Amino acid sequence: MIRTENVTKYFNRGNPDEVIAINDVSIEIKKGDFTVLKGPSGSGKTTLLSLIGCMSRPTSGKVIVENRDVSRLPERFMTEVRRNTFGFIFQQFHLIKGITVSDNVMLPLYPTGIKPSKLRKRAEEILINLGMGSRKDFPVQKLSGGEQQRTAIARALINNPDIILADEPTAHLDTHLSEEFLSIMRNLQQEGKTIVVATHDPLVYEKDCVNLIVEMRDGMVKDIIKKN
Amino acid sequence: MALEKHRNILDYTLQALLRRKFKNIGIILVFTFVIFMLSSILFLSYSLRQEAHLILQDSPEIVVQKMRAGRHELIPINLEKDIRKIPGVSSTEPRYWGYYYDSGAKANYTILGIGTAILKNNRLLNGRMPLPHEKNVAAIGRGIADVRIIKKDIGSTLYLQAADGRWMNFNIIGIFESDSEIITSDLIIISEDDFKILNNMPEGMATDLIVHVSNETEIPTVAKKVKEQFPDSRPILRDEIIRTYDAVFGWRSGLIITLFTGALIAFIILAWDKATGLSAEEKQEIGILKAIGWETSDVLEMKFWEGLVISLTSFISGLILAYVHIFFLGASLFAPALKGWSVIYPDFKLTPFIDFYQIATLTAITIVPYIASTIIPSWKASITDPDTVMRG
Amino acid sequence: MILHPGVISLIIGSGIVLLLVMFASALGIKITRGWDIKSSSEEQLSFERKTYLISTLVQYALSFEILSIFLFIYTAEDIHTLLVGAMCATGSLNANSFGFPTLYVKVVAFFVSAAWIAINHLDNKAQDYPLIKIKYRLLIAVLAILIIEFILQLQYFLRINPNVITSCCGVMFSEKGKGLVSSLTAAPILPAEILFYSLLGIMIANGIAVHKTQKKSFTYLFSIFSFIFFIASVIAIISFISLYFYQLPTHHCPFDILQKEYYYAGYPLYAALFTGSFFGMMIGIIEPFKKIASMTPIILQAQRRWALYAIIGLIVFALIASAPMILLPFKLY
Repeated sequence: MIRTENVTKYFNRGNPDEVIAINDVSIEIKKGDFTVLKGPSGSGKTTLLSLIGCMSRPTSGKVIVENRDVSRLPERFMTEVRRNTFGFIFQQFHLIKGITVSDNVMLPLYPTGIKPSKLRKRAEEILINLGMGSRKDFPVQKLSGGEQQRTAIARALINNPDIILADEPTAHLDTHLSEEFLSIMRNLQQEGKTIVVATHDPLVYEKDCVNLIVEMRDGMVKDIIKKN
Repeated sequence: MALEKHRNILDYTLQALLRRKFKNIGIILVFTFVIFMLSSILFLSYSLRQEAHLILQDSPEIVVQKMRAGRHELIPINLEKDIRKIPGVSSTEPRYWGYYYDSGAKANYTILGIGTAILKNNRLLNGRMPLPHEKNVAAIGRGIADVRIIKKDIGSTLYLQAADGRWMNFNIIGIFESDSEIITSDLIIISEDDFKILNNMPEGMATDLIVHVSNETEIPTVAKKVKEQFPDSRPILRDEIIRTYDAVFGWRSGLIITLFTGALIAFIILAWDKATGLSAEEKQEIGILKAIGWETSDVLEMKFWEGLVISLTSFISGLILAYVHIFFLGASLFAPALKGWSVIYPDFKLTPFIDFYQIATLTAITIVPYIASTIIPSWKASITDPDTVMRG
Repeated sequence: MILHPGVISLIIGSGIVLLLVMFASALGIKITRGWDIKSSSEEQLSFERKTYLISTLVQYALSFEILSIFLFIYTAEDIHTLLVGAMCATGSLNANSFGFPTLYVKVVAFFVSAAWIAINHLDNKAQDYPLIKIKYRLLIAVLAILIIEFILQLQYFLRINPNVITSCCGVMFSEKGKGLVSSLTAAPILPAEILFYSLLGIMIANGIAVHKTQKKSFTYLFSIFSFIFFIASVIAIISFISLYFYQLPTHHCPFDILQKEYYYAGYPLYAALFTGSFFGMMIGIIEPFKKIASMTPIILQAQRRWALYAIIGLIVFALIASAPMILLPFKLY
């Protein structure tokens, strides 16, 4: 499903402030895996997540997503792959303030040219599934933290992605909401989706449903633990 | 499918603009003002020109004036006989006209004495015209009626001071309510006999002669022959007058627009600055859009719609304001610069005249520079890395 | 020199567009020099991002070129009253030797910048930027044409002398005059019409063939025919189509149909002709790109689609051109 081969990523290459964010990382994630990229901040897990998610290109090495080498694709094709394959959940939710819940959920698919009425129907279905049906016309800034989290999940699901990527999803949630988030992820995993979470929250990586833990430190893979 | 995509992005852009109304209101106001000024200039000069064309359409093909020492002088009526003999001339007529300075109203009126000729467009006349030899009656323009006559209506009396100092009184028998007020607003029509008394004109003389030529192409030939037979005369062709009007109006509006480019440049700098200075919130929004699946060209398209919405809003409001300013408020802001160059007109209203060409010209001098000044800033915003939102 | 609002807007507009395209070409040269698709350096990434800026700049330039052709004709129309003997746009354009060349170069600039955008569009469909070098070389050609256009236009307006007697459409497009254009208008109308419609028939047949098979011989032929048809259509407009629109047997002006008096029929007429001929010509121009492996399916698809656009454009053009012949009572023979 996802494979990285000796992936290295520099920032500000050739400048005095050159940083090596990822150094020679090779991992493989199979379909249906619940993977955790574990490590302290600065360990490179977010950068790895953005490389896997076709948000940036590696300085060297290969990223292979669904048997397609995406490491050298021009941006417009990267975006296409990203839009068709991935759903993203960010640490700070990154919802757009001032517009409603369902508008936020529809946003990723605006440039694909799906009819707004069709798109809205799909967004509402997903929101109902997540128990957010009554909130669909609320402006997002009026939502509670848990509701914002669920809106962000709904937005990640609008394109019916095979792979869900989440970056520190529980950092701003209390234990109860974190558990709720994890149960939603588990349900998605059972539906056959692949899940990759970057986190250092033990609540997440100690869960039973997690079957692959990639431990990272200083841009390198320190350990890979497979569970069943 | 492709169309829906553009509609979706436009929808989102409109939403985003409404969310940030206050950020864009400044630029819209300034842009509206620039467009208002430029289109006012253009509307005013075009309508004046168009009015001139309207008047000149019915004017005689050739006007013959007598010159002495380079100045226009009264012309003997008996020249008519000789001019009529020139092949191609269908008829001739003497004209009696001049200006009357009204010290009370500080305005110049055009005064016309009519012999046989009656203005064709007398449907504009409320009342009737003086007959050729009728004494002490006048038809006047609405502008004069408003300035001079207390009752402002037919039946009042108009007093004019004759050349010998005596006051002559005229009974108002008609008032012009013209669509195109520039012709009739300052006009006083009296009979030929009264005109001669008022201005102490010698018998057998006229202000000038008009010559009708039936075949358009023969006009220059006839004019040449008049000049040959009467070397002290000056034949004026209608086309020449039109050309002069056009040149003057075109030149004046061109000059003002050129002066205005300074303001335009200032505006472009403002637009550039505004487009470059993205707020943190906007930057983050673009980052989010890119992260969740928007491509650079989608963001560019959003920025294009944004520019188009801002410029069209300003363009339309500027145009409407200019229209009201020129055609309802009488171009109060800068009429003095454009219309008066020899005659001080009383108030007048212009006939609205707008066409595609004026709109296209305005687009080229306002929207094109604005859009051009926003391309590079928009592009800079659109290439935001999609993973910026993750790097926090 | 005439200080006229239309003149000022044309000069300002062309100046801005010239600056934009100059900037785009400079970026283009920089990109072609350092381009390395295999590299993952920051520089290469920034080059790829700059391609977006260049295509945006050229797209805006093209939109202005379209506006500018009409603005130029309108301005010529508007200033004819300043020129002795000029009775319409044709007269103004004849006021000096730069008028018509400016118009021709504007039309060429339109076609070349549209071609650039079409090629850019195809290049963006492939994953490895196969046309990047050709594309930016062509951009230099666009720039050269825009520079020529700017200079000719400036010269035309600078040298307009409101006192020079100019010939107008009554003279230039009347049968008495000498020269190429006059001999065109004097051509017997019936044979000209037969020629025009047979050419149209061949074009449509050829277009269908391209749409079905995209064979090399068909595509090249279609390109050549499209070019000939474009020229032939302009001649046809002067020689007989205009006569039916004006309902006058002697009025041959190609610009008056843009006026309100003729219900702006000229706009859809020229729009259909330009679109049809443009797509027709592009079909053969992109033929050589078929050899590039990553382009083959893209070119085949483009040729199939563009052949359809070309046929539709030409049919719409022919319908508008023929409408007054069929619907109005005016007959030439």
